Amino acid sequence: MNELKTSEAPSLMTDETFRLLRDFIYEHSGIYFSDAKKTQLENRLTLRLKATNLGDFDKYYYLLKYDPQADRELRCLFDSVTTNETSFFRSPPQIQSFQEKALPEIMARREEQGEKILRLWSAGCSTGDEPYTMGIVTKELLQERLAQWDVKIWGSDISEKALKSARAATYSEYTLRSVPPEIKKKYFIAERSQYRVVDEIRTLVELQCLNFNDSKRVRLMRGFDIIFCRNVLIYFDDAAKKRFVSQLYDNLNPGGYLFIGHSESLHNISRAFKLVHFPGALGYKKE
Amino acid sequence: MNDSVFDTIRDIDDLPTLPSVAMEVMSLSRKPDVSIKSISECIYQDPSLAAMVLKMANSAFYRRGSGAIDTLHRAILMIGLNEIINITTSVSILSIFPPGDGQDESVRRMFWNHCIATGLIARHIDKKLAMKSMGREFVGGLLHDIGKIVLDQYFHDEFEEARAFSIDVDCPMHEAEQEVLGTTHMEIGHFLAEKWNLPGYLADINLHHHHPSAAQFKDITSLISIADLLAKAREFSFGGDRMSFVLADQEAWHILKQMGYPVHFLDLERFTFEIESIGDEVKSYIGALSETDARESANE
Ligand SMILES: [Fe+2]
Ligand SMILES: [Fe+2]
Repeated sequence: MNELKTSEAPSLMTDETFRLLRDFIYEHSGIYFSDAKKTQLENRLTLRLKATNLGDFDKYYYLLKYDPQADRELRCLFDSVTTNETSFFRSPPQIQSFQEKALPEIMARREEQGEKILRLWSAGCSTGDEPYTMGIVTKELLQERLAQWDVKIWGSDISEKALKSARAATYSEYTLRSVPPEIKKKYFIAERSQYRVVDEIRTLVELQCLNFNDSKRVRLMRGFDIIFCRNVLIYFDDAAKKRFVSQLYDNLNPGGYLFIGHSESLHNISRAFKLVHFPGALGYKKE
Repeated sequence: MNDSVFDTIRDIDDLPTLPSVAMEVMSLSRKPDVSIKSISECIYQDPSLAAMVLKMANSAFYRRGSGAIDTLHRAILMIGLNEIINITTSVSILSIFPPGDGQDESVRRMFWNHCIATGLIARHIDKKLAMKSMGREFVGGLLHDIGKIVLDQYFHDEFEEARAFSIDVDCPMHEAEQEVLGTTHMEIGHFLAEKWNLPGYLADINLHHHHPSAAQFKDITSLISIADLLAKAREFSFGGDRMSFVLADQEAWHILKQMGYPVHFLDLERFTFEIESIGDEVKSYIGALSETDARESANE
């Protein structure tokens, strides 16, 4: 039976190999595939099997573990196990809370202190929709005063492939579906059927590849006023979540805010933040 | 015109009154040994109210199990005395200040959306914290802002001005009212609750729901205070009131904690997500009410 299948269909992942791969991925990224997600991992990695011309998942595991080229394959693996479904102005009530409450509060405080510096971070920025959205919102709030401010928005992701799209900053109509028409007109240049983010916004955003498991480098991300880390924690198990969220807490300035995905919760993860109810959305404040 | 708004409202002769049967039901419900029979007989004194209550009891919102509920006695057995008192109160109040003809944007409609949402959220919290408010939490939510509707009715322009002020300055509505009208919906609501001879906890909720530490009925007033905030956070607000807040820093939160309610066990995030569907519940409640209205007028 099995033999017949393998000749046509891709090979199956044994429970043992699943565990080996799962632990390997966890160790290198914090991304955790529970037993229930075996099929999901199998589906994602089937593409990598084909790409690497390897016959079965055991061989793939040995490639990752022992091959000198493993680093390169690891990056491709990250590309394929992180899903990149994002869009501009995703979860509008969250963006609105960011725009109407969190950001003005921080800007006012900074102005009072006489230092017009803003540091924002889109952690897990995927194809860039989020950091550019943050840039557009910041510009909308500051208008011409933007020039007097030192604004830097970091976008980081584990997937090189996603970052490549982020750098291109060119998007489909569909990705822009939640963007108000006047914003679309102001901040995007139509190129054939695509839309490119204008340079004024692009230059606010700094993109970089970052593995959240690389605690040394994550620790260097300091002094942020607002961090968006939406739909990233879902990839981690509780231990990795706790580690990472407490790191994010340290990455924030006092008075800063963390936004996680709509319907994600830090309830059992961290008690360090204050839960803030914004109109229609939740935020976490570092006091 | 300071404090004249309050005086003017106090001196209005034909301020709306609660139907006498509703008042009687409420005072009956406070007696410890009240019987099903006495409550249902009381409601039957007002046949159109009795018909509305029965229709409401048969609506999708309240209906339990199959089979039509055709007597009040049966209704009380099926869905409970507290719910029947809730329904009687809701139907009576909404008949005095009807939510309007289904225009979602009308001020009246927004008002009732907010109050019903507050009542329903209060009911969820009551269950989570095992507060055993016995239906008072729903009525409390429904009536906590009754002063606003009176202000809107008799001082419409000034009230609109207060709403604009609250949005401009980003301050709570009651502060804007104080600024523009020289009184607040809490004072007016409290006055009305006393005039209508409503139970003490309702007068208390009206006066203190924004600062519950001064309340006599601290637990239910705090419960309504929190439900009110959460209703606004779900964007069921009436007037400006697009404030953000930290629940754990609220007066009401500290009171409930001090009184020994297990607030710290409440998974606030999950609860907030759970009440995201409160909009549907509110719609279904208003729908049930207007269904009864529509049928009532169709029968006439
Ligand atoms: Fe109020
Ligand atoms: Fe309210």
